[in-house]
Amino acid sequence: MRFQFAGAVTGVVALVAGTAQAHHSFAMFDMTKEVTVSGTVKEFQWTNPHAYIQLVAKDEQGRDVEWSMEMGAPMYLYARGWRPSSLKAGMQVRVTLNPLRNGRPGGVVRDVVTADGRQIGTNR
Amino acid sequence: MPGLSRWRAAWLVMAASLAAPVAAQERPQEDRVEVFRNLPYWPGYWVAEDQTDVPISGIPVRDETTPPPRNDALGMWAAQIPWNDEGRRRVEEVSRTMGGRKSLGWGYPLMMASATPLLFLITPEHVLIINAYNEARHIYTDGRGHPPPEDLWPTVTGHSIGHWEGETLVIDTIMVRNPNEFFQGAPPLSEEAHYIERIWLDGDKLRAEMTVEDPVTLAAPWKSRLAWVRDPGFDRMLQVDWNNDRTGTDGEFNTIEPTED
Repeated sequence: MRFQFAGAVTGVVALVAGTAQAHHSFAMFDMTKEVTVSGTVKEFQWTNPHAYIQLVAKDEQGRDVEWSMEMGAPMYLYARGWRPSSLKAGMQVRVTLNPLRNGRPGGVVRDVVTADGRQIGTNR
Repeated sequence: MPGLSRWRAAWLVMAASLAAPVAAQERPQEDRVEVFRNLPYWPGYWVAEDQTDVPISGIPVRDETTPPPRNDALGMWAAQIPWNDEGRRRVEEVSRTMGGRKSLGWGYPLMMASATPLLFLITPEHVLIINAYNEARHIYTDGRGHPPPEDLWPTVTGHSIGHWEGETLVIDTIMVRNPNEFFQGAPPLSEEAHYIERIWLDGDKLRAEMTVEDPVTLAAPWKSRLAWVRDPGFDRMLQVDWNNDRTGTDGEFNTIEPTED
């Protein structure tokens, strides 16, 4: 299995939407779960209002599944050391995310590391 | 003319505009330099105070030690909006129908308190406020008034004129298209709304007070406080169109729509 559920997030850090307007509510993501998905980058969409990683990973039956992984806007990614060239099609990466509540293969990205464990950007 | 006072500079602007309102930008270069010398300078890229240190998820992280932000929300559910019956009716209707609606951008006034940095470019005749979504506000500070009614029509950012009161920029904006038609979470104000902003530098923060009056949707003036700070890492403005809104709905939850290919 190439993806796995971590335990519930119970740390002291709280996630809040803040007062500045976000593009959408974050209730669509299950913030109590973290999933780590290893796979191959199909496409990195450096777009507004969100960037997305399209990642192809094997499911438990060994079938290819394409995940849609949402990130912040390019301006915020840039400030954290990301560039449009940070991910290229064919790269092997490991992505930690909070999954969609509806069970579809997607979520909001928390961390991205390369196959050899190198973190991309600073992700403060 | 060293030592030109700000009021003298303002008078020069006014005199130039009264003498030739259409050609206000053609004042003598030496006068323009003196006016420019006395204007505030707000360099950098400003993010809403509660949008600092946002990680790659795009979701702000706060803990018990994080001071509460001093900026108010400008979305349609902001607690401080004094909606009248028509305003509440519009909010209820939008809330019922907004699921899966696509936005075209932030628009005004939401761009002043949304997830994008702002650039404030100040010149004697004109202040530009620009975000990272190719959205720009043009605030004319050359002494002109608003155009006559026959030359006005509703737009996403409306029509803005401004002037300086000391170090404070005062902006008067009218003829803003219903903001909710542009962004599904924006307040559904009418095109009769009148927006007044006061923006000033307070130490390392930009602060603003915004007052909105709308005879159609508000029972009283809507007053908001905004604040922006400079966040490390923002050293240039990346313009990326709002052209990949993949947030949809499955009927119960929002979801991420698949790619088109």
